[in-house]
Amino acid sequence: MRFRTSIAMATLATALFVSVAPLQAFDDAKYPDLSGQWTAVRLGVRGQPAFDPTKPWGLGQEAPLTPEYQKVLEASLEDQKNGGQGNWRPGDACLPPGMPAMMTLYQAMEMIVLPETTYIRIDHTHESFRRIYTDGRDWPKAEIEPTFVGYSIGKWIDEDGDGKYDVLEVETRHLKGPRPLDPAGMPTHVDNKSIVKERFYQQKDAPSRLFNEITLIDNAFTRPWTVLKTYARNPAKHPEWLENVCASENVLVKIGKETYFRGADGNLMPTRKGQPEPDLRHFQQTAKE
Amino acid sequence: MLDRNSIGTIALAVALLATMGVAQAFDDSKYPDWKGQWRRADPGPPRYDPSEPLNAQQAPLTDEYKTVHAASIADQKAGGQGNDPTYTCAPPGMPRIMSIYDPMEIIITPSITHIMIQHIHDSRRIFTDGRDWPKGFEPTFAGYSIGKWIDTDGDGRYDVLEVETRDLKGPRAYDGTGLPLHEDNQTVIKERLYTDKADPNIIINEITTIDNALTRPWTAIKKYRRVATKEEAVWPESVCAEGNVHIEIAGQNYFLGADGLLMPARKNQSPPDLRHFK
Repeated sequence: MRFRTSIAMATLATALFVSVAPLQAFDDAKYPDLSGQWTAVRLGVRGQPAFDPTKPWGLGQEAPLTPEYQKVLEASLEDQKNGGQGNWRPGDACLPPGMPAMMTLYQAMEMIVLPETTYIRIDHTHESFRRIYTDGRDWPKAEIEPTFVGYSIGKWIDEDGDGKYDVLEVETRHLKGPRPLDPAGMPTHVDNKSIVKERFYQQKDAPSRLFNEITLIDNAFTRPWTVLKTYARNPAKHPEWLENVCASENVLVKIGKETYFRGADGNLMPTRKGQPEPDLRHFQQTAKE
Repeated sequence: MLDRNSIGTIALAVALLATMGVAQAFDDSKYPDWKGQWRRADPGPPRYDPSEPLNAQQAPLTDEYKTVHAASIADQKAGGQGNDPTYTCAPPGMPRIMSIYDPMEIIITPSITHIMIQHIHDSRRIFTDGRDWPKGFEPTFAGYSIGKWIDTDGDGRYDVLEVETRDLKGPRAYDGTGLPLHEDNQTVIKERLYTDKADPNIIINEITTIDNALTRPWTAIKKYRRVATKEEAVWPESVCAEGNVHIEIAGQNYFLGADGLLMPARKNQSPPDLRHFK
């Protein structure tokens, strides 16, 4: 009799095991809760958001640039003083900022954590999304088309051994350019050999704060450059996801080497004093024909 | 009275239940397997109703909007862009997004199904957390989508995703001919997405558009095919602004030539008005 009860209990336990099996397909309890909307925390530094959030933009970043690329930055700033866009191509060309500038979060971010891939959605300038592969794959052997977001491989780590992942380490390669680091036009090397390493982790006592320690290895710099980004979770239950459509709403127009404004009447306007008119030689040729 | 063995077994069962409670946070086996890369299964150019040719969609347009469409086609014949706003890299918006111009990924989580398409600006969030329509949100080209998973055959697995999309902005066209939606942007789009019973690598999207430019709701059946590959899927990056040769100035379309300078987009087109440089 005693035996029968035990058998019944054992059967119940086995049945529960069977029920558990399909549920194990994705045990999201093993991963940190990164759901919701994340925005960048500004650290009281004046000016445009830059790569190192603890320092002012432009020369204030004290970036470890090579002398050659220091001149590139200075030329960008000089051009901007004169009404130009400098190296910041998301401005007039609506090109994606790419990695790592996109992780400054000029617009809100969503992270979607699945076992094989962590997705990052940021709708700024271009509808950029990153796929961070966490399925244990190696770097692809076949040639990869470089992209602004690059190819990212990640690894989840349980640092404190509590059975839950708490750090996502990511490495990103196969980038294309131009990819300035901030609106000052802080350059990356034209060879696009950048490697970007990231460590994402939440503040232990405040999980609504997320950190991203980014290290940029790039030939425009004399050494790897590490910065710490801080993101905050929007407490709204249903945050609004704004659509940021740069290309069709941009008031800046690049024609030849010049950038012009589109005025309120739609017509072209100069962006600086004494700017030459757009070169209309192709219309003259048409007229001659 | 239970003996020690029974108590131990019950304790084990309780422990297992506790574990299950955590694991149940996201039971992805309840959802259809829509992983991978999806492309348009219907042959021919992207269009709203794949059962009809692009140039003869049989859209139930009102007379007013038939005239708008005819004007768009005439403008395109003359070298213009007609009503197709995407030449400036404006997003196609809904329902045109679902003609999937570039590969699509569907990411299912309990609260949101993400439709990821890297074309111009074509990704969507479909909220499946039981929320109601929001108040005071900015309209978007993709619209605001609320979905509901349904287990139609009662086998304990969801097999249909029903979606309704509202709060759209414009201008939006159904296709490259400039087949128009109403400029009031009061469009409502209903979708039913499900796996083809005969082929798990086909998703069917029954899409119905309700719009004031139409005399009645317009339904089309779209099919998407999963790309079969032994290798990892390649996800190309599509950046419309990169290399776009179209430029709009004061409502006129011009080309940017290989030298970056302005060129006419049509015969005898006047150069842009440079009054602000005088």
